[in-house]
This record gives sequence, C-alpha cells and structure tokens, in this order.
Amino acid sequence: MLTFLDVMERATAGPISTEEDFNLKVLVPNVRKIVKQFDIRYDAANPVTTDDALARRLFDAAVEFIAQTGLYCTGTNRIIRVERDEILRAAQEISGGGTFGEGKDRRTFQPRRPDDATPPWCHVGTGIVASSEEIAMAQVEGYGSIRQASSVSIPAFGRVRGMPVLGGSPLEIYASAASVQAARKALWKAGRPGLPILNLISSATTATAMIAATHPAFGLRASDGWLIDFIAEMKVNYETLNRLAFILITGGNVGSTCLPILGGYGGGAPGTALIMTAYHLLGMLLFQGSYQLTGPVHFKHSCSTTRDGLWIFSVVGRATSLRTRYPAIALGYGAAGPCTKMYFYEAAAVNLCAVSSGFAGVQTVHPAKAIITDGVTPLEAEFNVAMAYAATKVQATRANELVNQLLAKYETEIERAPEGKRYQECFDVATRKPSEEYVRLYEQVKEELRGMRLEIGD
Amino acid sequence: MDKQQILEKLAQAIVDTDPELARATAKEAIASGVSPLEAVEQGLSKGMGTIGDLFGRGEVFLPELLLSANAFNEAMQVLKPELEARKQQIAQTATVVLGTVQGDLHSIGKNIVATLLETSGFRVVDLGVDRSPLDFVQEAGKANADVIALSCLMTTTMPSQKAVIDVLKEMKLRDKYLVVVGGAPTSQKWADEIGADGYGQSAVDAVALVKRLVNKKK
Repeated sequence: MLTFLDVMERATAGPISTEEDFNLKVLVPNVRKIVKQFDIRYDAANPVTTDDALARRLFDAAVEFIAQTGLYCTGTNRIIRVERDEILRAAQEISGGGTFGEGKDRRTFQPRRPDDATPPWCHVGTGIVASSEEIAMAQVEGYGSIRQASSVSIPAFGRVRGMPVLGGSPLEIYASAASVQAARKALWKAGRPGLPILNLISSATTATAMIAATHPAFGLRASDGWLIDFIAEMKVNYETLNRLAFILITGGNVGSTCLPILGGYGGGAPGTALIMTAYHLLGMLLFQGSYQLTGPVHFKHSCSTTRDGLWIFSVVGRATSLRTRYPAIALGYGAAGPCTKMYFYEAAAVNLCAVSSGFAGVQTVHPAKAIITDGVTPLEAEFNVAMAYAATKVQATRANELVNQLLAKYETEIERAPEGKRYQECFDVATRKPSEEYVRLYEQVKEELRGMRLEIGD
Repeated sequence: MDKQQILEKLAQAIVDTDPELARATAKEAIASGVSPLEAVEQGLSKGMGTIGDLFGRGEVFLPELLLSANAFNEAMQVLKPELEARKQQIAQTATVVLGTVQGDLHSIGKNIVATLLETSGFRVVDLGVDRSPLDFVQEAGKANADVIALSCLMTTTMPSQKAVIDVLKEMKLRDKYLVVVGGAPTSQKWADEIGADGYGQSAVDAVALVKRLVNKKK
C-alpha cells in the first residue's frame, strides 16, 4: 500500500497538466484505446455475466488503464502516477476489509466470490436528506431494527431551525454534528448501540464539516466508516485529500467511493466498467480503503438500474472479487420511489446482479435517484436485505434469467418512473409502522417474486 | 466537389470526431470559395447539431461530444481568420453565464451544457464550480449576460440555486436575466418553487430551453 505521504509526494511532483488536457488528451483516449485492446464488450442480452475470461480481462485492463492514465489532482494540477506492480502487489497482499462496530455488532468485512452462498454485508439505509430530526431518527431506528443489518447509512439534515443547510456554510458543521448525534441515539433506541455507521458524514459536503463532526463529543467511533470520494472521472481534489489525511492519521475506516457516470468520460458500458474497476483498485491502494462503495449512475436517467448499469455491476463485481480480497458494497440508485412496485423490481435486480457476481456487500438501493427529501423508509431497506439473502441461493446463470424478467417489468418505464411517497406519506411517524397500503404492496411484490422461484423470507 | 458536398463533408467530420478532416475540409471550403460563415453555419454547426441529437438519444456519449467539439474548434482555427478578414460574424444568439453553485464541486453536467450551448451559437461564460451567489450576479453583469444557468448535483446544494435568485431579487436585478436551473436533484417543481424561468432535465433539454426562452424574450 502507498502511505498518505507517498500520495501527496506524487500529487505535488507528478506531471503537470490542465484539467481539460487531462480529460481530452489522456483520459478519453486511454479509455477508448484500452477498452479496444482488452476487448471489453457489453452484452445487453446478459445483464448478469458469467464470463470469467471477460472479468479477468477487465481487471487487467483496469491495471493498465491506471498505469497509463494516473489520477488527476485538481489541487496541484498534476497527475498522480501509479505503477502496475504497485497495484498488483496491493491486490495480492490485501486480506480483507476493515473491522466495524462494537459489542455484538462488531464484525470484519469479508470478501465474497461469484456464486458464493455466504450472506453479503447488508448496509442498510441511505444518506437521503431528511426534513427534520424526528423523521431522520424514525428512519434510522427502523434501519437498526432490521436483524440482518451489518451497518447503517444515515440521513443528511437539510434544514436547521428552518434554515437551509448550504454546502460549505457554518450551518453544515452544526447539521453534520446533529445528524450523527441523532443517529447514534436512534440506534440506541433500536437496541443496536454497536451498529456501525458507514456513510460518514452524510450532511458534510466539505472536509471542514466532516472533521468537525468527527469530534468524539458527537459519538462517532474509529469503528465507523468515513466516505472519501473520487471526483468523476479519475480525479481528486484537496477536499478529498484533506478528508483522507484526517481519517488516516486518526485511524478511522476509509470507505473509498465513486459513482462513475455511465455516458460520461468513460463513454458507454465497457468504458464505465473500466473506470469503476480502476476506482476499486485506486481506493484500495491510494486511499487505504477498508471497503469500496461503488455503482454506476446513468448520465441521462440518474439511476443505476438500466440494463447497461446492471451489466456494469455484474462485470465489475466479478472482476474485482475474482482478483482481489478488497470488499466492495454495491450502491444502486433506483429510478422509482418508495411505495411503488417499480422500486422493488429495480432493487431486486440490483441485489440479484451484485450478490451473484461476487460483491461482498449491498446497500439499500436508493429510491427515486435519492433526490426526494424524506424519500426513503425502512421498508425498502428491509426488502433489500431480504433480496440480498434470497440472491445467495441463486447462481449467476439463473440470476441473469431473473434479472431479464425483472427488466421486462420496468425497463421501459425508467424515463417516467414514479416518484413514490415520502416517509410521512407511507409510514406513521409516531409508531414507526408502515401504512396498510404499503404493507399490502410489499407482500404482493414478495409473492410475485416467490412466483419466480426466489426464496425470499418473511 | 461542389459547395453542398463540402458542407456535408464538414458536418460529417464533426460527427466522426475527426479534427484533421475538419481542418482540411475547412481549408478546402475556403479554397473552393465557400463563404466561411456558411461553412460554420451550414457545415460545422449542422454536424454539432447531429451529435447533440445522438447524445440526447443516448446513442453517443460525452467523449464523442467533446471530441466533436474539439474537431469543431480545429476547423474554426482555419475559418475564424477568414471570418474576421471578411468582417463576417456568426450570429450569436445570446450570452449565458453558467456555473455550478456554491458548495458543489461537480462539473460534468455543467461542462456538457456549456459545450452544447457554445456549439449552438451561444456565447458562454463558464464560471466553473462552487461559485457564490454574488459571483453569478457580478459575472452576469460584467458579461452583459442574457441568461444565468445554475447547475448542482447534490440535494444539499440545491438551496444555493435559490440563493442566486434571492440575491438577484434583493439587488433588483431579477428581471434583467433569464435564470435556468439543472442537475440531477432538480425538477420543474423545484424551478417553479424558487422562481427560476426554466428547468432543463438533460443537457439537450437545457439548450432547447435556453433557445426557447431567449427567442420568447426577443
């Protein structure tokens, strides 16, 4: 692994370039060239791939791509160079993920392989903005009540005393601290005080707010997980590196993250898969990640559940799980929102795809592109966990058939996907219980999935 | 090769993202007596229009768009001096000051919109990312802008779009500019709520929206 100072040395001494030149003269040509050279082809008929040769080529292609491209640092306008041997050595030496949580909820994040029957790490919840502390706490309490939850993702606070929390403003520091305090209390109320929080810190868009809210007074522990993100595509800035410096020197778990844009600098599905695999390796090597949080987002539809998006999950999951023991959590964005059948179909597809392709963990598929305030409930989280477990009983070949059946149910609706309901429209805020309408819909979908011979639990 | 064939070849060079061909064909156009203004408007811009349509339909992606813009600029290096020598001017529809709002560092969506606007004949002043409300207002004044375009990718930075409109209102400048918003978390509902003039769901929509609004205002 490279140390933080190694990274900084390269960020300050690497080849100088403008960002535009990096994009046009390095990034885009290298993606095109390497996709061709390694024959990475998208197979629309098979969104869940079983092609190990393709997966292995994708891994090798990503190593070559990183070696030829590097990572652009916008803070120094220099390219951080990485050698092939450094990547391969790190991939060979890494033995697993970090250890998270406390007490009976303390666990080490272990990798999985394609067609692995071991249950994946279930990362429940989302960082979607909550309109009030009351709703945020109700959501997190619900997540904590899910028995198989391995970790939680907590909401961001959108307002403080009626004032909007602007990114980079002092209110963000307040909101960030308030959100982690509220989440800890909610987990305690759910009887899961040791459950780790892995999306630190959802209310913090800046390093300043993240570092401030990590003060021990607010209840975070080194056994939680802090997200450090690459910038799309193949870039880091000083905000990223400031966060990284702080987490590494304080001994926290780094959750290296990226959401490559399908249709962005990587072009179509093959190039996006290449970049997503590269991020996996860079997160392990440069960020010293304890886990990777990853998934593609379609440039036009802002979701991950398109046919090509699912294929990317599958081929990247297979490539990275066959060749490294660095665990990754699949993060999908659904087009439809809570309390809709379409959301459940999309979430089922992501879970089938990711789990059968070797992803070590899955996060609750974010409803309605994660853009609706209060637009998530614990029932989506519960469904994702049930689907993740059901998916362990399905081999990739069968998962492919099922995903094709699910796509047939929603694929043409992505452009006009229903927004769904907000927490308070399909849950009782006081009792934390879902509405009868939502329970009925949920049971109906589960029955439908059982009809597809999926062993989905109660 | 007649004029029509040269113009078609220019358009095709853009669609094929071929800078060398674009430059060579631009030279060929001048040598054959094609007006440089026609070469731009009936050749290069037509090619960019085709790429924009393909992008909107998801048939090509950002790299093709950028490479087409690059080919466009290559050809413009030949055509621009000719335009100046003949005192011809490309009809610029309007000036758009565009950027990602305060607290948000995302640039891809904004860059796509900027590229499409530029190649559609707009003058674009790109302010970059993480720009304060006052920056937008001041830069719009300096550029004598017609449109202010605000991008954001995060739910938590959406209020910064509203903040720009609020500052414009406070400074009694709201009526001076058309204000449009875009980015994954935004919607028509959001645009209406904050008093923007329009919302572009995609980059292609954004360009169509700006064209529509500018034409309506004329």
